[in-house]
Formats: sequence, C-alpha cells, structure tokens
Amino acid sequence: MEIYLDNAATTKPAPAVLRAMSECARRCYGNPASLHRLGVEAAKAVERSRRALAEALGAEPDEIVFTSGGTESNNLAIKGAARAAGKRGAHVVISAVEHPSVAAAAQSLEERGVRVSKVGVDCTGIVDPAAVARAIRPATILVSVMHANHEIGAVEPVSEIGRLCRRHGILFHCDACQSFTKEPLDVAKAHADMLSVNAHKLHGPRGIGALYVRRGTALSALLDGGGQEGGRRSGTLNTPAIAGFAAAIEASDPRDALAMRRLRDRLWNALRRAVPGIRLNGPRSARLCNNLNVILPGTESKPLLQKLSAAGIYASAGSACSSAKTEPSAVLLAIGLSPQEAARSMRLSLSRWTTQAEVDAAARAISRILGGS
Amino acid sequence: MSRSEETLDLAGIPCPANAARALIAIEGLPSGALLRISLDDGEPIQNVPPALEEQGHAVVEKVRAGAGWQVLVRKGDQA
Repeated sequence: MEIYLDNAATTKPAPAVLRAMSECARRCYGNPASLHRLGVEAAKAVERSRRALAEALGAEPDEIVFTSGGTESNNLAIKGAARAAGKRGAHVVISAVEHPSVAAAAQSLEERGVRVSKVGVDCTGIVDPAAVARAIRPATILVSVMHANHEIGAVEPVSEIGRLCRRHGILFHCDACQSFTKEPLDVAKAHADMLSVNAHKLHGPRGIGALYVRRGTALSALLDGGGQEGGRRSGTLNTPAIAGFAAAIEASDPRDALAMRRLRDRLWNALRRAVPGIRLNGPRSARLCNNLNVILPGTESKPLLQKLSAAGIYASAGSACSSAKTEPSAVLLAIGLSPQEAARSMRLSLSRWTTQAEVDAAARAISRILGGS
Repeated sequence: MSRSEETLDLAGIPCPANAARALIAIEGLPSGALLRISLDDGEPIQNVPPALEEQGHAVVEKVRAGAGWQVLVRKGDQA
C-alpha cells in the first residue's frame, strides 16, 4: 500500500509531463539561445510553454521569467525589486506566515539596511488587509503576501491587498506556488506586479518555476551571465523541464479542486469522529482545496508520522522545508499555537489522484495508531 | 490585390525567441496564409526571415518601418 498525502511538499509527476519532458529532451536538445535550427526548435518549445503559462495566469508571454523554482522566484522578486529600487532606508512588508524563501529573502535585505515589517495573521492564518495598510510607510517599496499558505492552506485576500498596494504605488508580490491551478488566480485581478509559481506542486517536474513580472516593473537580476530571459535570469534554460511545466498546466483541470475539497472534508470528518480532541489548524472555508492540518490530542506528530510511513502512508509535520528542523513551525506559532501544540501538528495534503479509499484508509490508520499509543 | 493577413509584433523580442514565436504563429495558419511580422533592426531582421524560409515559408516582403522592419511571410504548402 502507498498512500501519498504529502502533496503540498511535492507531487508525483503526471504521465503526460514525463512524456513531454522525454520527447523534448530527445528532440529539442539544442540550446534555446542558439540561432541555428536546433536552437530555434528548443526556443519553440520554450515559447510554447511560456504562452501556456502566461495564459494560465492571465499574463502576456513577455511577462514570464523562467526560474529554477519557487524559492528562486521569490528571491528574485524580493531582492530584485529592492535592488532596483536602490533607495537607502527602503521598507518592505511581508506577512508572518510566508514561505521561508520569502521570509529569509526579506531577512537578507534587512541585513543590508532595508527595513522589514511582518504583518501578523488571525488565529486561522488570514492576513487582514487593514493591517497591511497600517504597515505601509512612505518608504515602502514592496509588499509580499502569499496566495495560499503552504502549511495550513489559508487563502489570503490577495486581490484586496494588491489593490491597496496599487493605490499606494507600491509593488505587490504574491507567492502562488501552493495554489497555482488549484485556486482561481489572475494576475490582473490580484493586482500583482510579481507572482511566483512552480511546477512540482502540480504534478510537474522539480527544478522549474517562473516569476510573472508585470510590464514596466523595475527588477534587478540576481544572477550575472548570458542575459537570458530578457536579462532578468541568466542561465541556459532547462527546456525539458519547461516543456514539462506546460504539460502539467495543460493536464490540470479546475474541476479537480472540487473533488479534492470533498475528499479533504471527508478525511477531516472521519478524523474528527475517530480521534476525540483533534483540532483543525487554519481556516474552515478560505482554505486551499487539498490541505488539512490538525493538532493531535496529547501526542507529538512525528512518532505518528513514522508509524504511518511504516504502514505506507506518507504525510508531514509541516512544510517540507521545515519538517526536518527541530524548531517549531513559524506559521503555527504565528496563528497562536504554543511550541507544544505545533509539535503535535500534522499536515495531510491531497492530490487529484487521491481516492476515497485512500483517505478512508488513512483515517483508519491514524485512529488505530493513536488508539494504540 | 489585398488578402487578409495576420499580424505579429515581435519588436523587442530577442533572437531566437522571435523566430520561435513567428514559427509557432505561422503553424496555426492555413497553407498560403499571410503573416505580417514586426521585427527589430539588427540581428532580428538578419535571423528571422532565413529561419522562416528554412522551414518552407516564403518571405514576400521586407520593408523598413520606423526603427524596425515589417516582414510579410506566406505560409508554405509543406510547412
């Protein structure tokens, strides 16, 4: 038995993705910056994918910069915007529940003299746009708030925050890595100047992501080199992964969200019935369709996760980036949990391939292990 | 004689992404269809028309348009 409930960490690549990558690696092996026929063939694969990604985001192809993933996209947005602004005493606003690649990039800026404000969240992880408005100062150059949280699935009011930023003439960056293709999102509706996405959360390959950069946005490159991607991201493009990214987008279906939400709710209801005292982390309704995060009653999550793994059921204590760390999750602390409660928390994240039989089996296994511990 | 033609603005798009986009655009047209492409001077006007011809399309016209060029391409029968 293999029941994979760690899809917020990464997903199994779709067969169509593997086929597209294999085909591209065999046929389009030229460098997409080369001017000869094989280079143009590779460039065609890249441009087809760029167009697919742009269409999925409501953007123009020229507004898409391919990167190595969400972490690089977030770093490029935050550090690149601050560098381009170039002002001493610049100020950046982020939320308290951002992915480490946003929080650490902001911290890195802080070490270089940029002032950073962290806006808190309510007990379900939702950012209040009014709190963002209060954090804005005359020196604010950038606000970064994620679309959907990687640990507790909170879907943030990014359109409202984006509109606020646009009104103030401040850049708005949104990390949409968890929500891309799962929650409706359009860069215009989000009033986003920059938006990060990656492929491996939607059954695409690892090592490929993109940053949407609205036309006219001042952004400095972080990598020096050949000036690919309009000078914003040097480095030979990973053509097969880019083709796989587009295949993953094309294979996604908005109707999957409904099915995932239904199974996620079924799992939560089964756990509530079977495990007295279990509690939900994060919001009930404004929540990513595939995310469930719970506090277990009276036991740390790691021993349970180990036993589940031994039984072929895979989940995580928190985000993949922090689950191997011993410190409590910053996201869970930000919603008001104690370090002990954070250590008792567990994330179960579904994919479009998760079945009813699997969630029922997972609920039974969790109940059985907790009952026997 | 005037015949309806599609247009594609590739000004500001570097090589070979401009050639790639032109080829993708022309792939979606029927044989014999015309595509008018705006291109920058320099490498783009030197590289894109030969790339189109190499794939079997006919470059019908190349005219200066401000700082750039307008290139009219007819989709080839076998392309």
